[in-house]
Amino acid sequence: MTVRSKDVKIHVSHLKKNFGKLEVLKDISTDIYEGEVVCIIGPSGSGKSTFLRCLNRLEDITAGEVVVDGYKITDKKININKVRENVGMVFQHFNLFNNLNVLKNLTLAPVDLKKASKEEAKQQAVHMLEKVGLSDKVSAYPSQLSGGQKQRVAIARALCMNPDIMLFDEPTSALDPEMVGEVLNVMKQLAADGMTMVIVTHEMGFAREVADRVIFMDGGYIVEEGTPEEVIKNPKEPRTIDFLNKVL
Amino acid sequence: MVQIITDYGTLLLKAMGQTLILALWGLFFACILGLIFGILSVVKSKICNAISAIFVNVIRGVPMIVLAFFVFFGVPYLFNTILHIGKNIVLTGLQAGTICLALNCGAYMAEIIRGGIQAVDKGQMEASRSLGLPYWRAMQRVILPQAVKIMIPSIINQFIITLKDTSILSVIGFPELVNTAKNVQANTFKSFQTWAIVAVMYLVVITLLSQLSKAVERRLDHDREK
Repeated sequence: MTVRSKDVKIHVSHLKKNFGKLEVLKDISTDIYEGEVVCIIGPSGSGKSTFLRCLNRLEDITAGEVVVDGYKITDKKININKVRENVGMVFQHFNLFNNLNVLKNLTLAPVDLKKASKEEAKQQAVHMLEKVGLSDKVSAYPSQLSGGQKQRVAIARALCMNPDIMLFDEPTSALDPEMVGEVLNVMKQLAADGMTMVIVTHEMGFAREVADRVIFMDGGYIVEEGTPEEVIKNPKEPRTIDFLNKVL
Repeated sequence: MVQIITDYGTLLLKAMGQTLILALWGLFFACILGLIFGILSVVKSKICNAISAIFVNVIRGVPMIVLAFFVFFGVPYLFNTILHIGKNIVLTGLQAGTICLALNCGAYMAEIIRGGIQAVDKGQMEASRSLGLPYWRAMQRVILPQAVKIMIPSIINQFIITLKDTSILSVIGFPELVNTAKNVQANTFKSFQTWAIVAVMYLVVITLLSQLSKAVERRLDHDREK
């Protein structure tokens, strides 16, 4: 891979995650490099989302080592909030703050965490809304937006913290088909700008077009990984072939 | 009827005032207790959850009239006669009444607050935390404002129940409306008229409170549309 010479942004080694007795992630190791766009695909229940949520410790990690942006987040003593400031996350169900309008959704964290003054945060928020094509929605409330608009606001909200890494957890799965495009376009733009991105997705077309690397997960393991060409077009593992036959 | 109003009207209005004072003190402390125990029941700590659950279950499991006798007679007896601490601790009707209402209403408020917080989608907390906000900031800025909106109708309902529950405290001699009305009845022997007047007085106050609650709800909804 061409990006190998760059810095490792996320280092994962022998990551395990149990929910009670259920082993969701059994042994995951991988490195994600600066500017790399990694798409994670796989059947439901394979542990894709759990893996993503371990990367900013929204899920407690059972065993193994995860280093994000130079911080060893598997170390309990680390200030996880500091790490999260640099790792944006976009959720399947948007999770916009329903009690706040779009502008306040975007400025809440930067102002509260003293990343920016109120005025700076506002300017940046307006700029980000322009970037995602929603300048006219500054004072709208989440309940007044369509799904696609909500998700674009959610992306803008994450970007307002100026993160180094963006995590996407099935960002288009809850959208009407006609709204998927507008969200994927924003993500393509972000990838072109050189953002390090980890994306759990079912959009094979998007993965093929944008990903530098595709990871296929099943049963709590990484079964196969490589370029989209290798994994999606010419998969080697029987489970990958079986899965792709069902979804393509 | 008219005679009772002219002779005892001021007395009954004063008694209503006492009822309201008792209810307000009770509600004030009930809100504090409710908030404390409500939050204890949602934080990620088994010990805190257990403390809250015990408080709620004990208070909910004891009728308020028993609680009233216990606080007014039982607790001073415990200190004065059994433990011999302090000399002649006596609670006034207002003090004992406030404690009873605060405990009783506080337990139900704790449940309302727990329910309200848990009714907020957990994605709201996850999104806040993913931006780097600490737990309490997220609670304060995102979760509680949404939870309060969910809780308002139940809280007003609980206020009304508590206002009516003050009548139970007539048993410990606090001169609230029911206690006073008993005396009026004893003096006049006109039980129908006396209790009809008392019923209407409660009805008026509680209707006003209900209207106020609707106004608050509308106000909150309006804020969201803006």
